[in-house]
Amino acid sequence: MQDFLTIAEASQQIASKKISPVELTQACLDRVKALDETLNAFLLVTQERAMADARAAEARIMAGLSRGKLDGIPIAHKDIYNTAGIRTTGHSRLLLNNVPESDATVVRSWAEAGTVMLGKLATHEFAMGGPSFDLPWPPARNPWNPAHFTSGSSSGTGAAVASGMILGGTGSDTGGSIRGPAALCGLAGIKPTYGLCSRAGVLPLSFTMDHTGPLAWTAEDCALLLQAMAGYDPADPASANRPVPDFTEDLDRGVKGLRIGVVRHFFEKDHPVNDATRLQIAHALDVFEHLGADITEVTLSPLAEWNACGWIILTSEAYAVHEPWLKTRFNDYGELLRDRLALGGLIRAGDYVQALRRRRVLCQELKQAMSKLDILVSAVQPTEAPPIDSIPKWAMLERPSFTIPFNLTGSPAMSICTGFAAGGLPVAMQIIGKPFAEATVFRAAHAYEKATAWRRKRPEMALPVAA
Amino acid sequence: MKPAISPAAFEVLLAQTGLPLSQEQKQALYEPYALVEAMLLHVTQPMPREAEPSLIFVPEVR
Repeated sequence: MQDFLTIAEASQQIASKKISPVELTQACLDRVKALDETLNAFLLVTQERAMADARAAEARIMAGLSRGKLDGIPIAHKDIYNTAGIRTTGHSRLLLNNVPESDATVVRSWAEAGTVMLGKLATHEFAMGGPSFDLPWPPARNPWNPAHFTSGSSSGTGAAVASGMILGGTGSDTGGSIRGPAALCGLAGIKPTYGLCSRAGVLPLSFTMDHTGPLAWTAEDCALLLQAMAGYDPADPASANRPVPDFTEDLDRGVKGLRIGVVRHFFEKDHPVNDATRLQIAHALDVFEHLGADITEVTLSPLAEWNACGWIILTSEAYAVHEPWLKTRFNDYGELLRDRLALGGLIRAGDYVQALRRRRVLCQELKQAMSKLDILVSAVQPTEAPPIDSIPKWAMLERPSFTIPFNLTGSPAMSICTGFAAGGLPVAMQIIGKPFAEATVFRAAHAYEKATAWRRKRPEMALPVAA
Repeated sequence: MKPAISPAAFEVLLAQTGLPLSQEQKQALYEPYALVEAMLLHVTQPMPREAEPSLIFVPEVR
């Protein structure tokens, strides 16, 4: 079997019976055994469940009853997704013994598509507090260099996909928690349009900013995973009742004629990124232009305004979610999360409402700015992954986030790898689409990945396992 | 950076939350509150009447 497979490649090989789901799953479990002591990506490995899923997928495929491209594909879920009969903790002491009775809608959807579940993945505590060293489990580490940060909060998913322990996994994104780990771990990850994917059965953080979505090695793999998690769910009050398009249909259309706006002031003036990040975004824009896209500059409100509006809404809503536990079990939280949440309790109702009003203005501004564009390009992270012990508690307050603007607007936004900095750590760019235009985002991301070589390089620490 | 709010007024603000914070935990939040004050300035600028919080997302026809 090939060392590393994307979902698209594995799916083809399973269909042509070159590999079996059981072999593929065993290879992933072997990788977990070899690497996870260092990476801490898994909070729980469900080996027996994985092998049972794999055998069932194999039986279906041998009987000519394949459920499609995800049948037999090893995945895992961020540990804020409820899994029936399987512990779901939010990576927190508060839910140490929480065993849900039913699956989150997305967990059920992926299972129905035939995926093989390997377990539950590390997260920042309740998708907000991390990296923390005072929780029942250590934080996940970056496979490109385990002394470095994965970003978060979908930290375990980032580490597990990048090291090949799984081929794809779930994340959630309230201020950048899918796109951050995708960027620092060298992956593709998409926060879909608000309302496209169900949040039912996923531990909430901020009702109007939470999104569920996938992380995988490539944009194509994300499209395949999103296909199996998108769609109306009456159990989620924010779910959009509209048809789901085929996200892979336009993948190979290329970017000729695509109108791309670059929000350069976000990452060159408002929050300057380092040279490697800036140069690789510039290179990516050259690639798009060479492939026939039209590139223009776009000016939006300063990044600090977007960040302030997003932070106030996110933190106020997160405080509202956690207030009962904060009052009764304050010291059971990790220090990072309890302090971050406590600040949310200090925001007055009037200020929260003003932030909602500002949100409306910013949503209108983005809609206007994109009226003659197909996608926007910006940064995801200011640098490659920093050392894991160097993350300030108040990072989000001190430096504006590149990702939170699109949680505010609900726009689809994706991180893809744009290469590597001098120390071998990945850098990334963000592609933003119009609401429900994920297919256009995937089309641009796929064209870029096919035109560059970055998807051929894997973390060195994972290579000997496959040899 | 020091917050504009006085330590005494901050103590009152914290007390209103009802959170069971130790004195040390309260002190750890005082200086970072300056960053919150800076954030609040961004959202309290004048806005047009039509900047309403309702209908942030286009409602779907069910």
